[in-house]
Amino acid sequence: MARFLINRFLQTIFVIFVVTLVVSFAIRLTGDPALMLAQGAGSVSEDDLARIREGLGLNQPFLIQYADFLRGFFTLDFGRSFLGGTPVSQLIGAALPATVMLAFAVMFVSIAVSIPLGIKAAVSRGKWADQAIRIVSLIGLSFPNFWLAIMLVLLFSITLQWLPPSGMDGFASFLMPAFTMGIILTATNVRLVRTAMLETLQSQYIMVARAKGLSENVVLYKHALRNCAIPLVTYFGLQFGGLLGGIVVIERVFNWPGLGTLAFDAVGARDYPVLQAVITILSMLIVGVNLLVDIVYGLIDPRIRTE
Amino acid sequence: MNKKQRMRAALTALALAGGLMATASAQAAGTLTVASPQDPGSWDPVDTFLVNWASVATNIYDGLTYRGPNTELVPGLATSWEELDNGTRIRFKLREGVQFHNGEPFNADAVKFTFDRLMGEEGKKGPQRSNYAAIDHVEVIDNYSVDFHLKASDPVLLIKLAGYGAMIVPPTYITEKGEDYFNAHPVGTGPFKLASYEPKIGIKLEAFADHWGGAPQLSNLNYRFISEPSTAVAELQSGRVDLVIPPTIPIGMIPTIEQDPNIDIVTTASPTVYALRFNTGNGITADERVRKAMIYGVDRQAIIDSILGGQAAPIASFQGELSFGHDPKMQPLPYDPNKAKQLLKEAGVAPGTKIQIDIRGNDATFNEVSQAVASYLQIIGLNATLKPYETNVMLNDIIPAGKTGELFQQNWGGWTLDYDNTAYFMYHTGEKWNPYDSDAELDLLLESQRAITDRAKREEILQSIAQYTANQALEMPLYNLNAIYGVSNRVHNFTPAPDSRLRLSDVTVD
Repeated sequence: MARFLINRFLQTIFVIFVVTLVVSFAIRLTGDPALMLAQGAGSVSEDDLARIREGLGLNQPFLIQYADFLRGFFTLDFGRSFLGGTPVSQLIGAALPATVMLAFAVMFVSIAVSIPLGIKAAVSRGKWADQAIRIVSLIGLSFPNFWLAIMLVLLFSITLQWLPPSGMDGFASFLMPAFTMGIILTATNVRLVRTAMLETLQSQYIMVARAKGLSENVVLYKHALRNCAIPLVTYFGLQFGGLLGGIVVIERVFNWPGLGTLAFDAVGARDYPVLQAVITILSMLIVGVNLLVDIVYGLIDPRIRTE
Repeated sequence: MNKKQRMRAALTALALAGGLMATASAQAAGTLTVASPQDPGSWDPVDTFLVNWASVATNIYDGLTYRGPNTELVPGLATSWEELDNGTRIRFKLREGVQFHNGEPFNADAVKFTFDRLMGEEGKKGPQRSNYAAIDHVEVIDNYSVDFHLKASDPVLLIKLAGYGAMIVPPTYITEKGEDYFNAHPVGTGPFKLASYEPKIGIKLEAFADHWGGAPQLSNLNYRFISEPSTAVAELQSGRVDLVIPPTIPIGMIPTIEQDPNIDIVTTASPTVYALRFNTGNGITADERVRKAMIYGVDRQAIIDSILGGQAAPIASFQGELSFGHDPKMQPLPYDPNKAKQLLKEAGVAPGTKIQIDIRGNDATFNEVSQAVASYLQIIGLNATLKPYETNVMLNDIIPAGKTGELFQQNWGGWTLDYDNTAYFMYHTGEKWNPYDSDAELDLLLESQRAITDRAKREEILQSIAQYTANQALEMPLYNLNAIYGVSNRVHNFTPAPDSRLRLSDVTVD
């Protein structure tokens, strides 16, 4: 188990390193931030631009800039935003919890809905409940999430005035973004749970459990669910990683003060330090979740630990 | 006193008390929430070039001069001024008894500190310095008078002192707290002072009761940064935001807002003008007749009426009616497709010739406008294709490098409302926005007006520059777009500012 973990950990470090290198390099191909900053200032001479670049530390060769970034990374000093000079760590410190909390809320909604529905569908395979769940989840799957978001805002914020249309401001503000993203994940997850459950329900130990006279709920939620947990945990884990990256659109529609909004603004402003930090952190989260999934595997299924 | 009388007395007392409470709350009461599309990141005047910095900071800082929504220049922190030595020295008398939010006194030293800082090391790192390049140094005469010594006279300087980099900052505060602290904790002499600032989320201001112009009517002024237009409008409709400022509300959303009984659209003429400029260096657009043909060929009034819902005015040169240098007698070329075809024929342009129009991809309204332009050009026999670019790429890499198609989008709107701020940058040889042309005669005209402080004479030259560019058809002037505000019905006394520099001290809310 230890060796397995060390191996996976080293792989993780390597992936993050490559990502930071590629990101730092690629972002510098997108154009000159000094030009951006001087945009509103009528006449700008090459001297003015050189001065602004020097102020931003962009006159250094790429490798030195990259080394600075890496060094800063280990001391949790990500430098300052090109736009206004706010420390990047302060921006990330505010945005990261916002994104992670939203992602958890989304996963919560999705899992809490999809597991009971998926099991119900599997148990009543072919009957009307199964069909209904399948149709509803198909409809959920075909919604574009930004459209759904706008419809929810129209109904709950503008017409009924129950929920705030944007921003992160208490429990109520989580409902619409979490539901919008959650419903789309749920659509896929219900089908996944149903398939995994169907397979498990046909195995002999379920027959034994039922023969023992265990209640149907114990059979389903204790015996069956645990045995089909492996594919589900993998999938939910990967989904969580994908969610962190894919949350940008929803963050923008709901003006959520998270990493997605931060990255979106940084791209527009060619704000290298902010973008570098956000992408590095997102990749760390995604890679980290994958690592966690691997570890949880080991806990659920002892066979993997020894492999 | 019988029962009835007692009752009446009690009621009167109650009414009086209520009345008292009402007057108490009429003074400095109520919170106004504003949706602004962008966080400038720093509130330091020398760091910014963003209009949305000014829509907040106009409430925090004062300049020596002030220019409000009616575009008239009036005294600010300076009570009077006098131009000396042929306009190369300006003497300012300063307002006495003014305090910064931190209690620091405003005086001649604060003025000197502000401009030493702007023209010195701190200013060099930012984009504002070049706007004030005419200032050589500031000399303190006594505690309440200063002399501005100029390298050369700058006819627009007094206006520039009313905004952006020229906002007066507190010397002791900045020296003690440091530059970084000042970025996030601005202190000025304006009618509102900082309460709290959360980067990327919002900034909250509260009334500064000791403002020299009197305490503001509102007690709190909150700004929320919301970049997505539909989100900002949803916040307005749900009553959580009272004011949405430009440039947020797209033309297409105006009908939605107008249908809502609780909110209104308020517009005013703005400095923002739109044109399709020509590649005058190469290809068929190097020929003046072809350029004129394209202008004749596009029905600009129809575009304004249909696509822009009437929220724009036609222009004859690259400036709106607010611009100093605007000539009301100048008329745009009329829509005349036959004349256009005839000119193209004279120039030997074959029907079906391909041309390219470069536009900013994220500007939904202008995308529609340029599609209409392309169809009009199709009618006169030019096969136009649109090429959308990411805005920053277009502004920084395509236009200055002279890599555009035959036509390219340019929007412009200087807050100084002076045609010099447009014409010099668009047409003078070697300027960033003039990648194709070098015209000695035009250069001379542009340079000559900069040395003149006589307003009438200068206006005449600026008007002749406008006429010159129209004669040469250097661009297809399209329209002057209004500044569009979305305002809740609970807001009173709101005057829309053409340049988004909103001072909200007279506004009240229900």
